[in-house]
Amino acid sequence: MKEGKQETNIVVETVARVMIPFIQLFALYVIIHGTGGPGGGFQGGVVFASVFILYVITFNLAGGRERFPESANIVLSSLGLYVYGGIGLLAIIFSLGTAQYLNYGFIPFTSHFEENRALGMDFVEMGIGITVMAIIASIFFDLAQKKGRFKKGDGEGG
Amino acid sequence: MTALILIIILCALFIYVAEDIPVFGDPNAPPIKAVKLFTMKADQVASLLDQHIVPGKLSRELVKRGLPPPSHIEKIPGMDGEWNAFIAKEESYYAKEEKYYWIKEEGDKVRVSRYAFVVRWIEKGLKETAVPNMVTYGLADYRGYDTLGETTVIFTAGVSVILLLRRRSRL
Repeated sequence: MKEGKQETNIVVETVARVMIPFIQLFALYVIIHGTGGPGGGFQGGVVFASVFILYVITFNLAGGRERFPESANIVLSSLGLYVYGGIGLLAIIFSLGTAQYLNYGFIPFTSHFEENRALGMDFVEMGIGITVMAIIASIFFDLAQKKGRFKKGDGEGG
Repeated sequence: MTALILIIILCALFIYVAEDIPVFGDPNAPPIKAVKLFTMKADQVASLLDQHIVPGKLSRELVKRGLPPPSHIEKIPGMDGEWNAFIAKEESYYAKEEKYYWIKEEGDKVRVSRYAFVVRWIEKGLKETAVPNMVTYGLADYRGYDTLGETTVIFTAGVSVILLLRRRSRL
């Protein structure tokens, strides 16, 4: 993919422009409805990351990196894991050390123990979704961009 | 530098959490519906079970094998010659009275089986977690530690690719 000399195809671009918001919406649907139907954080995260791949193969790599900058990518990839770990830690904090780690029932989202567990699961799925989305996008951008890694005389560094 | 501190905090959290992991490898909980324990002669047992009485022979046989004796018997509705045996509250894994043994009449013998965890998973999951999806409450609640580990594996994969492909100077 040579930037600046890329072929543009009006059909592909229009279809991508129309499809991308719907794919993102579908990914969010899969994550949010993970507790009620089929789906969950892993699947929704991968569907969301596929949007970046579609964008990059339709437009160009630099544009994709502009839409999803590297700093945001790095923050998001660890944020999901911190959400997961934090939800687990909240159970210990709110029960003053009597409940186990990841025992969502003791986090007072609502007054019902069972619904607390359901909500805790929802937040955990969101955390998984954020991490998976950011990591898949990060791996894709890393593999897609060329930085003269294979030039001779450049040493091992990129 | 910030990333290093965050990673150290995450590692410390995991080390703290690792002490909380429940015990694995319980031989009494394989992932099948019920585990066959033994068979015994059905001369008196079946009629006693029909009257909701716990046969002394059955209790003795179970105690001999190191299992808790049943507290009361109930017929499985719609099934002829099958009973559920419940255990009392004191049993170590369950705080409440639980369905524990599955007794079935086979010819002139009675087969005694123990329900596996899967049965409890299917029957109690919706009640305990208010989530209708069996896979999700398994993934995120009962096996929450496992999923935390899986997410960490994905995170580690991404960080490894960053380290290998994005380095600007020699490591």
